[in-house]
Amino acid sequence: MILDMNEYVKVLQKFKIDIVYSGPMWEDGIKGLAEMVKVHLKGDDIPGSSARAVFSVFVEQVTNMLMYSAQKERFPGTNREPVDVSAGIFVLGYRGKTYFIQTRNAVKNESVDFIKGKIDHLNTLDKKELRQLHRESVRGENDNPESKGAGLGLIEIARRASKPISYAFEPAGEGKTFFTMCVEIGQEEK
Amino acid sequence: MAYRLERERTNTTPYILIDEEKNYMRFEGESYLEDVIGFFKEIDEWLTGYLASDFTEFTFECAMEYFNSSTTKLLYNFLVMMDKNATAGKTVTVNWIALEDNEIMIECGEDFQEEMERLTFNIVIAD
Repeated sequence: MILDMNEYVKVLQKFKIDIVYSGPMWEDGIKGLAEMVKVHLKGDDIPGSSARAVFSVFVEQVTNMLMYSAQKERFPGTNREPVDVSAGIFVLGYRGKTYFIQTRNAVKNESVDFIKGKIDHLNTLDKKELRQLHRESVRGENDNPESKGAGLGLIEIARRASKPISYAFEPAGEGKTFFTMCVEIGQEEK
Repeated sequence: MAYRLERERTNTTPYILIDEEKNYMRFEGESYLEDVIGFFKEIDEWLTGYLASDFTEFTFECAMEYFNSSTTKLLYNFLVMMDKNATAGKTVTVNWIALEDNEIMIECGEDFQEEMERLTFNIVIAD
């Protein structure tokens, strides 16, 4: 049976979704998606500062997805070494002068408390406090043993977000949990 | 032979120029979705050796437009290393170049500037 693309487009329009990606994700593979997001933002004719804020959230959010993903599979690489591929969904939309980036990926059950605690804490801080925390984290050691990066990603996301970060956890079976995160970035006046 | 390194800019990695003869290093562009440690490994190795040497004046120009959080950490580590080595007779100048409307880069420069104790850290706003 052929998928009704009109129905699909209607859903995208209803939720004001501009870009959607669902499928395998890995660092090099995401670069194409990043280009797409960048070009899309340029086409939107918004101030450079807003575009940069949205792009920064995008980069940190997909990086977090790759980092925390509990659905990793080793694929043979196309030219060199094998790559660790994660599964995830990414959505970028724009409604009422506000961009939103929503992602979903599976995480290990034992990561849930850490992620939840971290976001809840960031959501209580104002912009000045977030900047201060960012400075301290750049200086200090990483507090997350699972994180391969600098552990700064979520703080950066919170700094660019115009509303508290919303999230949801749902059981995914086999010791895993689906983690959905939605970040809204308001557009600055031009 | 004085060390020299020049790397073209790509979508996800910055232009790099190291000209040891001129005691000069420049980064320009963007850095994200890359193995940052791997990309900057050679630069890190050179910088570590260079800063320990008997240079008198070193200038680092950083004209980045965007970088991700792992790059933030790496640049900070580079700057700390430069700051620690800016001892008597060794002058280190950092020119942090950012576009006027690039608040993210300007704020990052301001935060780095406050962490530095010995080197000269200039924030240069370009149009």
